[in-house]
Amino acid sequence: MDDLKKAILDFAENNKKSKFYFSDMEKAVKVEFPDAKARDVKKAATALVNEEKLIYFSTGSSTMYGLKGRGQTEDH
Amino acid sequence: MAFEPREEQKQLKYQELRIFSDEELHNYTEEELKNFKIKHDIPFCEELEKGRWPSFVADAKREALHRKKLAQDRMMIERDVVEDLLGQLEVSFKHGETHWKHGGIVGVFGYGGGVIGRYSDLQEQFPSIAHFHTMRVNQPASKFYTSDYLRTICDLWEYRGSGMMNMHGSTGDIIFLGTFTEQLEPIFFELGHVLQQDLGGSGSNLRTPSCCIGKARCEWSCIDTQDMCYELTHYYQDELHRPAFPYKFKFKFDGCPNGCVASIARSDMSFIGTWRDEIRIDQEAVKAYMGGEIMPNGGAHSGRDWGQFDIHKEVINLCPTQCMWMEGDKLMIDNKECTRCMHCINVMPRALRPGKDTGVSILLGAKAPILEGAQMALLTIPFMKTDPPYDNIKEKVVEPIWDWWMEEGKNRERLGELIQRQGIPKLIEVLGIPAMPQMVKEPRSNPYIFWKEEDVPGGWKRDIKDYRSRHKR
Repeated sequence: MDDLKKAILDFAENNKKSKFYFSDMEKAVKVEFPDAKARDVKKAATALVNEEKLIYFSTGSSTMYGLKGRGQTEDH
Repeated sequence: MAFEPREEQKQLKYQELRIFSDEELHNYTEEELKNFKIKHDIPFCEELEKGRWPSFVADAKREALHRKKLAQDRMMIERDVVEDLLGQLEVSFKHGETHWKHGGIVGVFGYGGGVIGRYSDLQEQFPSIAHFHTMRVNQPASKFYTSDYLRTICDLWEYRGSGMMNMHGSTGDIIFLGTFTEQLEPIFFELGHVLQQDLGGSGSNLRTPSCCIGKARCEWSCIDTQDMCYELTHYYQDELHRPAFPYKFKFKFDGCPNGCVASIARSDMSFIGTWRDEIRIDQEAVKAYMGGEIMPNGGAHSGRDWGQFDIHKEVINLCPTQCMWMEGDKLMIDNKECTRCMHCINVMPRALRPGKDTGVSILLGAKAPILEGAQMALLTIPFMKTDPPYDNIKEKVVEPIWDWWMEEGKNRERLGELIQRQGIPKLIEVLGIPAMPQMVKEPRSNPYIFWKEEDVPGGWKRDIKDYRSRHKR
């Protein structure tokens, strides 16, 4: 779990865009951990949201993830 | 089967939970309303009040007056939120474009759905709607409410939000329209801990499942839609609140093919109650309909004289598969040709009833226009027996479909679009079910059938080098 969390944070920090889709995050994690299942990546991402390191960005119809503090903030 | 809630349900008592007094709730007269003008000029909006139907503008004005007469400390957001909303709408009508900024980083802690961020891009002009976030409240199965519950949530929303809500949004939830970010957590706490009420789904989540009235009141319901909806809502809580899908995903449950929640057109996975034995016929009641002793359609079209009931004209000739006929005074049905359209049963409910061997049909892939145009669902599983807790549906249908869609679906691609892109053969391979003629939309329009080696008895061997020795590229 900690390895997956680190891979997610690496992806989030180095991504050109501040918001990204779950599937892109999953693909990036699978480069390093090819056996990781989508459900495991989701659990790691959820844990990071609960630790307030990742945030959800929702338009109402679709949802993206982002690194807390990067890009758009809650005040906009 | 008696309803067994997952956790003990408290009986809500409005008198203990209420925020506003009767005087505060009834604080204006009709005369005051007639003379009331909101603080912005809204001639375009007021045009909408002139039609024959009730207008949300008229309702919003009532709410604006009501808030104007409440003390400011009785509301946690500005009292003129409704007036500013109408003011901005007026500007949008003039400009021909919206002034909402779409989406954002708002939500309640740990949830990826249920709150939809909205911000005005005219915040200086309309400061009371600088934030106008929407919240989705997960409706109970079939939308059975007590008046205590409804009064309590209305008070809560008046106190912490705009006071305006939709009953209900098209997904099925109650929609709370418009509040500020700092009110979200207090509302969520109050809903969850006091009212035992969860938020619904939004974003790339499982959306709030919804069902028809089912066996609660309807004699035609072939499945317990409420129980199925409740079970799947609880079982898939993680999918409802923590987004990881390529896009939205909707379950809807219809008890019979009349489809009162229109699951066939409005859900990615539509469950429709059906039967696989024979329509039950009461021949004496058939005669009573023919003799005019029982009103057809349950008396629904009795507003004018349609003449004597004619079973040929009104039932037999309207059967889409022509599977009904009379033998003397007996009504006959060739059940294997019946497509479960429900028309004959609707017209003569006391003579005809669905069969007793009931189950569910599962249809996949309906959607409104997004990447591709609107489409209806595809009948994928014509009949499946299922009982609580519906493990066969969860394990053999829902989860294989989600695994496939999460693996192969593009961002913002609905299940219906994935089926279109990869084809029905791939869908039925994922589910491990056989093909059937009803899946072919236009027979013979596509001459290509791709056989796999394992589909053909004995398989085949193909040597590409041998082939190329005779066929140049």
